[in-house]
Amino acid sequence: MLEKEMFAKQHESGGWEDEFGMIGPFQQGFGPRTNPKPGHPTGPDIGQRLPDIVATAHDGAVIDVHKARAGAAAIVVFFRSAVW
Amino acid sequence: MFALSYDEQDALAAYADEYGVTFPLLSDPKSEIIESFGILNTLMDADDHPWYGIPFPGTYVIDADGIIIAKFFESNMAIRANADQLRRAAIGEEVTIEPLSEPPSEVTADVSFDGESLAVGVVRDLLVTFRVPEGQHLYGEPVPSGMVATSVEFDESEGLVTFDPQFPPTHKHTLSGTGEELQVYEGDVVVRIPITHNQRSIEKLDDGSRVVRVSGTLRWQSCDDEVCHLPVAQPFELALPALRSNTPEFRRKEGSTRMDTPTHFAKMTERRKEPQ
Repeated sequence: MLEKEMFAKQHESGGWEDEFGMIGPFQQGFGPRTNPKPGHPTGPDIGQRLPDIVATAHDGAVIDVHKARAGAAAIVVFFRSAVW
Repeated sequence: MFALSYDEQDALAAYADEYGVTFPLLSDPKSEIIESFGILNTLMDADDHPWYGIPFPGTYVIDADGIIIAKFFESNMAIRANADQLRRAAIGEEVTIEPLSEPPSEVTADVSFDGESLAVGVVRDLLVTFRVPEGQHLYGEPVPSGMVATSVEFDESEGLVTFDPQFPPTHKHTLSGTGEELQVYEGDVVVRIPITHNQRSIEKLDDGSRVVRVSGTLRWQSCDDEVCHLPVAQPFELALPALRSNTPEFRRKEGSTRMDTPTHFAKMTERRKEPQ
């Protein structure tokens, strides 16, 4: 069972401070600031083949990551959002 | 380079245009790929719009055969790997240690910074390099009783964020006298310590530049097969160029159209409310 990181301290600026002293508008443990405690799932392990990813890219092209990298090494980033 | 998020394609298109992104931004609006990887943030409730559907953010580095050779995941969304770390993992680059002009007679240690500046929340490494003369060793875990472990301690700082040191693997060493087996470090030993900062301890210097001070103590004890030297505690202090932004290299493309964030955000909020 995953546990939420709940450390939060109200900062004088009105924001909320997390366990590393990072200040954000949301309180840790709620909404967009819902982080797990360390040791959360990180997907396939080192040594495994990256599972297939086929998705539509920003320009509308359908990209198959393993085909598109054309035999080269690659970096695949899973990021939060381009909007917020 | 590929980057995937749960954003709609039109939001990614607007973002790519605003920032001049040259690699594919992949859209996974139903978080199906994120879920298939097992990295959906399940701590958020499915009805918590629009946050639900994001991954535990992270990066996979794969080799030419598509095998994962490195992963970068942090539990805190304010912390992320630096592009240099990803690039280095992808091309398999290691730190070069300059050879010494003459072999050391005793252990030396120094601390350097792998990077040019430290941006808020962006992780870079401190490098601690121990040079151990031939025939001598430092102790790794488990440390024999009465001996001092090789360690790096940081002084208290409200602005510095440090993570566990990454020691290289130890060697097994058998003492010639007693036959005792030890886990030791020999030769040149590089310890990486991921660090970042939260902008609380930025210091402005007279020349207008900003730094974050990093200080602490290195501890070790060196031995050969017969004698052990006295434990050493060596203080260190570095002033690292500090950046207040977390995206210092990331700028809008000149003349680009600003993306209409509120509209995209409203759409994200609504999309999961529709009956499936």
